[in-house]
Amino acid sequence: MALAEAVLATLILIATFGLLIARQVRGAITGYAAQSILLGGLAIAMFAGSRLPHLLALGLLTIGIKGFAIPAVVRFQVRGPTYRRREIAYYVGFPTALLVGAGLSLVGLVAASRLPFHPYLLSEPVLGLAIAVILLGLFTTMARRDAVLQLAGLLAAENGVLLVGLVVSPELGLLIEFALVLDVVIGVAVMGFLIARMHETVASTDTSELSRLRG
Amino acid sequence: MTDPGLLVLVVALPLVAALISLVCSARLQIALALVFQVGTFGVALALIARILVVGRIDAFAHWLYLDSLSAVVMLVAAVVSVLATFYSAGYLRHELQHRVIKTDELRKYFVLFHLFVFAMLLVTIAGNLGLLWTAISATTLASAPLVDFYGSHEPLEAAWKYIVLTVAGSLLALLGLLLLYQSGVASLGNSYDFSIPVLAGAASHLSPTLASTAFLLILVGFGTKAGLAPMHTWLPDAHSQAPSPICAMLSGAELNCAMLGIFRVYTLTAPAAGAATLRTGMLVFGLVSMSVAVVFLISQRNFKRLLAYSSVEQMGLISVGVGLGNPVALIGALLLVVTHGFTKCLMFFATGNLVLRFRSTTIPEIRGVVRAMPWTAVLLIGGALAIAGAPPFGVFISEFSIIAGAFAGHFWVLGALVAALLLLGFIPLVAPFHRMTFSNADTGGEVAQAELSAVTLLPALVLLGAVLVIGVWIPNPLNQLLHHAAAVMTR
Repeated sequence: MALAEAVLATLILIATFGLLIARQVRGAITGYAAQSILLGGLAIAMFAGSRLPHLLALGLLTIGIKGFAIPAVVRFQVRGPTYRRREIAYYVGFPTALLVGAGLSLVGLVAASRLPFHPYLLSEPVLGLAIAVILLGLFTTMARRDAVLQLAGLLAAENGVLLVGLVVSPELGLLIEFALVLDVVIGVAVMGFLIARMHETVASTDTSELSRLRG
Repeated sequence: MTDPGLLVLVVALPLVAALISLVCSARLQIALALVFQVGTFGVALALIARILVVGRIDAFAHWLYLDSLSAVVMLVAAVVSVLATFYSAGYLRHELQHRVIKTDELRKYFVLFHLFVFAMLLVTIAGNLGLLWTAISATTLASAPLVDFYGSHEPLEAAWKYIVLTVAGSLLALLGLLLLYQSGVASLGNSYDFSIPVLAGAASHLSPTLASTAFLLILVGFGTKAGLAPMHTWLPDAHSQAPSPICAMLSGAELNCAMLGIFRVYTLTAPAAGAATLRTGMLVFGLVSMSVAVVFLISQRNFKRLLAYSSVEQMGLISVGVGLGNPVALIGALLLVVTHGFTKCLMFFATGNLVLRFRSTTIPEIRGVVRAMPWTAVLLIGGALAIAGAPPFGVFISEFSIIAGAFAGHFWVLGALVAALLLLGFIPLVAPFHRMTFSNADTGGEVAQAELSAVTLLPALVLLGAVLVIGVWIPNPLNQLLHHAAAVMTR
């Protein structure tokens, strides 16, 4: 079971890399959905081993809301040309992004190995992978100019935080999940509203169009 | 009513107000807001009075918790919110009369306004640290659409930057909270109640490495929300683009809510991680914030951004006060939470009157305020002197206590540096308001006419009176509250 969990955690990191280098909004949303479904799957795998009912609820909630509902809402909000558009302008190029991403993953793994961690249901390397997912998600938000991709980066980082929650304490994980679901659902609604306003105001979701405020 | 009942009521009232606002007619919004926000203010005052008697209220299995430390922030949030409601009434009526906004937009404004107040008050009564994080995040989600209220290019840019940066900060803070939980596993077991009283009881047994890492992440995460440099870049944009009553709430109250998150984790982690380590972090972020703010204060041409950078400076100073750690500096920092909150709120109300009258936030475009708006001129000059730290206003007493605390703790260089930074920021803060008020100008037409309505002046006059009184004589209940709060932080 430990092997299955380690494999799922590694796949979550790979899905986050997919999101980091996605060239289309469509690809980034799919990357986020895949990451969320894998995270839900990990919680369910942990339930199978521990029989803690919280973990089943958490897994199903994650798959339902983050794996399907949120991607569907974001797809609906950015349907049309934006959804299919291939992004050609970004702050950090893809080869550089991959290199930085690899470096950040290493930082996550090293940082986790230095912390005096008390293993509960998941092992220490999973904590490293979770920190790497957070760093990659935040880096995606900084590296991309498109508002939808920036949103996807934040959502991916938030999944990384939930993974840390699962490592630290499954019971706390449920509390954190409820807080995050609330935050994510409302956050997606507010950010979705602002993205729609961007469409109206600058006819684009490219945040580099929003650069009048300085000093 | 019982103490737990009061705790529930203080957040239930603004939440119910938001729900009623959602369905009630746009014309009733202002009256509804006044009734509910005055009620909320009354309940908050009753709670603070109870805290002075009982010390703390711990209810619903530690989910809700109020002590002297959070009562200080509750006092500021409640005063700023109720006065911002009155000021909003005058401000929005003016905007409606001049067709800047439509009647229907009042509903959106007040629903979000009530939710914003709800979230800020929830921060002050959260006993569970997960709930505290949720409430701090909720303040962003409720206020971001208010930053974009005017719906043009610049407010949208400000709102986007605000939400992206503060949500990123919130995620780091949550990671910090999870590590804080892990730091207690060795002494409290794998599954324990993640609340302030439980962690406080085991504070000296937390893992030092995890506790200090958790504090650092929370300092960066909530520090982003509190406007500490270098994570402050969203703040001047958001605070300059929102409607003036919302700017008053963002600068006067919301920043303090994020600071409360930092204070809480500081008190919980200091016994294990070592107060000296944590204080160094507070001092570094505080001094960087003050230095960055002074540079931008000097070169500022927009008076709302000027006030926003002043907030970065003051949050930095609060951080320095906590970083110094001795009782004199701590009481100064906590008093600054109150006096900065009141004074900054007053300044956003006064400059809001300028925005309504002159339709500009650019300093060189505004002249002759003393003739066009004499009462607003009094508020501007009084408020500018107060926020810059001139005696006899409350901010002066707060800043003096922090510097005195530095010298009392033998931090001679640090004390001198803080004093120098405050002096450097004084003229850039006061001079623009002096110029706008007293310079001769072509004040023909509408600008030469009288003041705006009394309701746009009275809330600011109340605040000016309050910061003047606090500067001369700190009322005994406030003094007692501050001393108790400082004791909570040094326990």
